[in-house]
Amino acid sequence: MDSIISVQNLTHTYTDGQNNSVKALDGINLSIAPGEFVAIIGTNGSGKSTLARHFNALLTPTEGICLVNGLDTSKEENMWQVRQTVGMVFQNPDNQIVAAIVEEDVAFGLENIGVPSEQIRPRVEAALAAVNMSAYAQQAPHRLSGGQKQRIAIAGVMALEPKCIVFDEPTAMLDPKGRKEIVSTVVKLNKEKHITIVYITHKMEEAILADRIVAMEKGKIVMMGTPAEVFSQVELMNKLGLEAPLAAEVAFHLNKAGHKLPANIITHKELCKALCPSM
Amino acid sequence: MSIDVKNISYTYMAKTPFECQALDQVSVTINKGEFVAIIGHTGSGKSTLAEHLNGLLHPTTGAVYVDGIDVNGKGADAKKARHQVGMVFQYPEHQLFAETVYEDIAFGPRNSGKDPDTVDAAVRSAMEFVNLDFATFAQRSPFALSGGQMRRVAIAGVVAMEPDYLIMDEPSAGLDPRSRNMIFAQLMTIFKKRKMAVILITHSMEEAALYADRLLVMSGGKLCIDGKTSDVFINDEKTLEKLAVDVPESFKLAEELQQQGLPLKGAILTEAQLVKAIAKAKGWSGC
Amino acid sequence: MLNDITLGQYYPGNSFLHKLDPRTKILATFFFMAAVFIAESALSYGILLAFVFIVAFMAKLPWKMLLKSIKPLWVIIILTLGIHIFTGQGEPLWQWKMFTVTREGIVLGVKMSLRLILLLLISSLLTFTTSPIVLTDGIESLLTPFKKIGVPAHELAMMMTIALRFIPTLLEETDRIMKAQSARGADFSSGNLIQRAKNMLPILIPLFISSFRRADELAMAMEARCYRGGKGRTRMHQLVYGSRDGVAACGMAVLILVLCILKWGGTLWAI
Repeated sequence: MDSIISVQNLTHTYTDGQNNSVKALDGINLSIAPGEFVAIIGTNGSGKSTLARHFNALLTPTEGICLVNGLDTSKEENMWQVRQTVGMVFQNPDNQIVAAIVEEDVAFGLENIGVPSEQIRPRVEAALAAVNMSAYAQQAPHRLSGGQKQRIAIAGVMALEPKCIVFDEPTAMLDPKGRKEIVSTVVKLNKEKHITIVYITHKMEEAILADRIVAMEKGKIVMMGTPAEVFSQVELMNKLGLEAPLAAEVAFHLNKAGHKLPANIITHKELCKALCPSM
Repeated sequence: MSIDVKNISYTYMAKTPFECQALDQVSVTINKGEFVAIIGHTGSGKSTLAEHLNGLLHPTTGAVYVDGIDVNGKGADAKKARHQVGMVFQYPEHQLFAETVYEDIAFGPRNSGKDPDTVDAAVRSAMEFVNLDFATFAQRSPFALSGGQMRRVAIAGVVAMEPDYLIMDEPSAGLDPRSRNMIFAQLMTIFKKRKMAVILITHSMEEAALYADRLLVMSGGKLCIDGKTSDVFINDEKTLEKLAVDVPESFKLAEELQQQGLPLKGAILTEAQLVKAIAKAKGWSGC
Repeated sequence: MLNDITLGQYYPGNSFLHKLDPRTKILATFFFMAAVFIAESALSYGILLAFVFIVAFMAKLPWKMLLKSIKPLWVIIILTLGIHIFTGQGEPLWQWKMFTVTREGIVLGVKMSLRLILLLLISSLLTFTTSPIVLTDGIESLLTPFKKIGVPAHELAMMMTIALRFIPTLLEETDRIMKAQSARGADFSSGNLIQRAKNMLPILIPLFISSFRRADELAMAMEARCYRGGKGRTRMHQLVYGSRDGVAACGMAVLILVLCILKWGGTLWAI
């Protein structure tokens, strides 16, 4: 088995408040390899969160199939195995912390799956160390900053030793400092602990760190590729209601005015190279 | 016509172990017609300063005057002065409460004691400003709207009070680029049409550079820098770095290009300015 | 101190009492309460008071804190005293118009108020020396045997845990919503009672809606972390009785025994 998450022809339909049937996801095909860092981008309502919730069986497909580590998520007997394989971190750090003491919260998942008491503490300590929060084990979560709370939420997932973590807009409610903390933690987990990352965002400066980008609109995947391939399509990005990196935008505007620059410029360095012959 | 902040200090939880000096002798004047951005990292005192401007917090020492009237005074004059300063909090959609969009937007103007016709006119004009069609949305429940629409209803609720001074605390937080651009486009329209003062609290240097004429940089409860936006980013780069405040991405890219030998001229804070400067330096036309 | 409500009345420390198993403390508190109702003679009240003071001394709590714990109910204590003094049956000691003071009335009044004070003191001692989280663990553990007769021990404890976690968050949120509505000219302090209740709606409705939203998101986050109720759950902190708890139990047993002897063993000291 090659992929940790494999989605075939997935469609998800739900009924809204006015009794209309809404197709949130429409024929999605996607497979994610172990150790990969995939960013899913799209505006609010593009279906990216709905897709992510299929990855750990919070939602199940209306049509099609979603396999996690080869297990069908729609089978109830697979549910707990799936949720231990794929952890989830949500947008609002306040609404995913259960206990009034940091270490108790990190232990929550382990207690749920019935890990023997004497094994819980070392795993909690390891998880807190992985997000650099060991010093805060005894603190009350409401006294921490947003970035620290979000790192506690990540530790709570890490304690379960998942193979993959899905981040659903984890920095949307954080200040720039908290955002940096989370982004560097995510990159560290991917590079050092080889955890597969699925990262949902509409911030291009975060998505650009991924190995692969999946762009969504109206429940469909509209583009997939490396950051350079996706973000250099400035016009398409704007059409999707998203932003392209500054260097790509600048290159696009210069190109449009008839000054041919090399393709796929997305970083400052690449633009410097294209514009300054001395480099 | 201005807000005058005269030497205010504010201490949270005075005389407890959690005592914290949130504002330290801040003085500033904000005139009608200005677009001011307040920047600074979390805990620098920018929100605390904003909450003093309409009397939500009372300074421990010092005073705040709106058009010459002490906002912390008693009586009808002070109340009227406070109503001149509208405030859009972070995630304002979390404060929606009424059954219909109309009722929610009408809440503020009614509280200011306006008669029903004036309230109705204010609601209609506020909805137009935030680009919500009256016929479609007025009688809908605000809770059945999308996130971006809810935020626009909440902003309309403040705009409908027709304030001379409008404070916005991170109006784009959590929104995708499309909704963010829409809200700022509407904000600029209101700003230009009503000739009010806008006070934008933001973490985004791009927003500050794009929209504000004047920057207030806060740190540790003090007002550290007060100046024209372009001057601040260009002349005080070192100070900003010390205060852990970023500069706009375009400014950084321009500096990198200059270091690589591309001679860029003029103040470059936005993408448009950067594109123009590059074309000029390269001797290209048509950008 | 809105921020510190989670700590409740907990006074962090490292005393014998702080280190006791929460279950021991909860049970001891119940036994002491029973003892208070057994006590009749002056001597037994003296013993109970002495016991409370010795325990408080062992917990190394500031006396001021103990006195403070009586404060919220002092009006009721005085009222109890007054009612009993003026309505007591028996031989009048002093009389003025319709007010009669009897010896029995005074004795009963003092007894009743002493009972109230003792109950307040002992329950404060429990909360002063036990953090709410540990207390929750203790309650869950004590209720577990009653699961068979349908007591939802785990669910009750989980509810308490989540409440403790979210009280500060909701207080902050209330503060924020109040400010936002004040900025739109809302007035919470004038008008008659009905008017004022109506004025609270712009705060209460957003608060309810956000609580539901939080509950929804929390439930999803809990599910994502494999929560499936109390079945098969383990705990990081396991409660273990130690020798300390044995000592405390013996102390409690002696106290109850002495009080029983005083009550039923003879009438020597009875008034």
